[in-house]
Amino acid sequence: MIEVRGLHKEFGPVVAVDDVSFSAADGVVTGLLGPNGAGKTTTLRILTTLIVPDRGKALIDGQDVALDSIEARKRIGVLPDARGLYPRLTAREHVRYAAELHGMNGSGLTSRIAELLDLLDMRSIADRRVEGFSHGERVKVALARALVHGPRNVMLDEPTNGLDVLSTRAVRDLIRRLRDQGKCVLFSSHVMQEVSALCDRIVVIARGRVVAEGTPDEIKARAGKDNLEEAFVSVIGTDQGLVQ
Amino acid sequence: MKLASVIFRKELKDHARDRRSILSSLLVPLLGPLTFLAMFSVIASWMREDRPLIVPVAGAQNAPNLIAFLQRHGAIVEPAPPDYEAQVRDGKLDLAISVPEDYGKEFEAGRSAPVQIVEDSSRTKSRPQVMRARRILEAYSRRTSALRMIARGISPVLVAPLELTSVDLATPEKTAANVLGMMPLFLLMAVFIGGLHVAIDSTAGERERGSLEPLLVNPVSPSAVVTGKWLATIAATLLALAIALAGFEFAIARVPLQDLGIKFRLGSQEVMGLLAAVVPLALFAAALQITLALFARTFKEAQTYLSVLMLIPMMPAMFISLQPIRATLPMMVVPVFGQTLLMSDVLRGEPAPALWFAIAALTSALCAALLLTWAARLLRSEKIVFGRSGGA
Repeated sequence: MIEVRGLHKEFGPVVAVDDVSFSAADGVVTGLLGPNGAGKTTTLRILTTLIVPDRGKALIDGQDVALDSIEARKRIGVLPDARGLYPRLTAREHVRYAAELHGMNGSGLTSRIAELLDLLDMRSIADRRVEGFSHGERVKVALARALVHGPRNVMLDEPTNGLDVLSTRAVRDLIRRLRDQGKCVLFSSHVMQEVSALCDRIVVIARGRVVAEGTPDEIKARAGKDNLEEAFVSVIGTDQGLVQ
Repeated sequence: MKLASVIFRKELKDHARDRRSILSSLLVPLLGPLTFLAMFSVIASWMREDRPLIVPVAGAQNAPNLIAFLQRHGAIVEPAPPDYEAQVRDGKLDLAISVPEDYGKEFEAGRSAPVQIVEDSSRTKSRPQVMRARRILEAYSRRTSALRMIARGISPVLVAPLELTSVDLATPEKTAANVLGMMPLFLLMAVFIGGLHVAIDSTAGERERGSLEPLLVNPVSPSAVVTGKWLATIAATLLALAIALAGFEFAIARVPLQDLGIKFRLGSQEVMGLLAAVVPLALFAAALQITLALFARTFKEAQTYLSVLMLIPMMPAMFISLQPIRATLPMMVVPVFGQTLLMSDVLRGEPAPALWFAIAALTSALCAALLLTWAARLLRSEKIVFGRSGGA
């Protein structure tokens, strides 16, 4: 369960997030849709405790992340905007590193890593150094790293950005599987096809504000359009940066 | 602390696979020993006293007494080849002596008899040989003048108002410390450069790769992150230090120090003393590098800043190696400066009391702790984590 209430954050003269509130429930895929620079990444970074908001609250499972950031980070799995891998480590070593940072160890960990690598279809690349990996393979490593500790809440920043069709499908399957396991999945995207294909609920952000929120049907109804794409354009005011 | 050790082990594994980390840990510390090897061997070959003094003489028949005197004082007199001037110029001969034909006539008449030393003063290598030949000729000159004065009833003491002798108080170990005064400098270099690559790569490099954010979203405190990276930097530094010391051990064992009249050894006692002085400094150096590198935007920027910044703490050491000063207790609280003095004393064979080592170590550790606290604070700042852009 992820909730934000009245978030506000400025970087110098730029208001990145302006009074943003929404919630993402367990067992639901919630999409954060907005053009580049709308404030999606800043909102996610506040939720991962790396940025402190000027005002407002971010809650994970009902607990304010500002009060105990370590506890909050234990409850989330994050695919950050920067995938950032270590070129000289193998895929398996990346996953193990993240697991150990979550305090996991022992034989249970070894089988958990193997299971995850199978799930993401990474067995053949598991023991290769990541320096030669394709973009899709890198995202898979970063995803495995984010999920190794079995977090209840999963936040993915533009997870399918730059992926080919096959990898995109694999990531979508994974997201649906996480939802079916009852996890709270929050992902951000600036591609509306992505959001409409996956999301049970959509939060539309533009210029740091929430401009629409609800199921795809609710958003269509509120905008008075029968097609989701036109509904988005109508609530954001422009279609700039929304089509891939 | 368990998490710090997870980070430490990951950094070690990562950098053990990095050719650049290995190179900077392995090659830089060998610079000192190699310089020593080259420098001492060259000097020793110049100064070696047991090299026979070969004096080619042109016109030896003109001054049989002078030649006999030269031979009695250890010179091997040879007839000079006809092109001796050219050979001296080319460095094939160290020197030559030329005795003109009118030498005998002038000598008999009691006037100054001409003798030429042919030398090339730009050749440092020949200088000791020339000096030795000159000293013998001057001795001959003094003896002859004394005999002539006595023959005329004058005491030779009259023309020697001063009797100069120099008493050298420096012990052989002190002389050695002067020559070996550069060693602390090279050890400091190992300490300040050995772990630099690891420090930069695991901070500025980590951010540039975009792997800092994924690291920090794990439930690990900034101080554990900083501590892990600090320990990895120390490990690389200590490796560099060990290699530097082994290199010096090797170089000093093969260098003909006794030819230079230097009695010096790098025994286990000296090595222990050097380590006691310099290992605590590694704590400080690593903390300084980690903290400063966090401010740099990119790996390259950090490398540029830090390789210059690392020269600053070494400056007092350079000064001391040129102008040795007497260590006092208050100097021990200054990191780097204190350690340099401790090392010089150890090399001079007069190690300072253990308390001094302890004080120097303690201040280094204290400075390291302060720097690490600061670094952990920097990691809580979004400007540092995401760069100056702040993030959108």
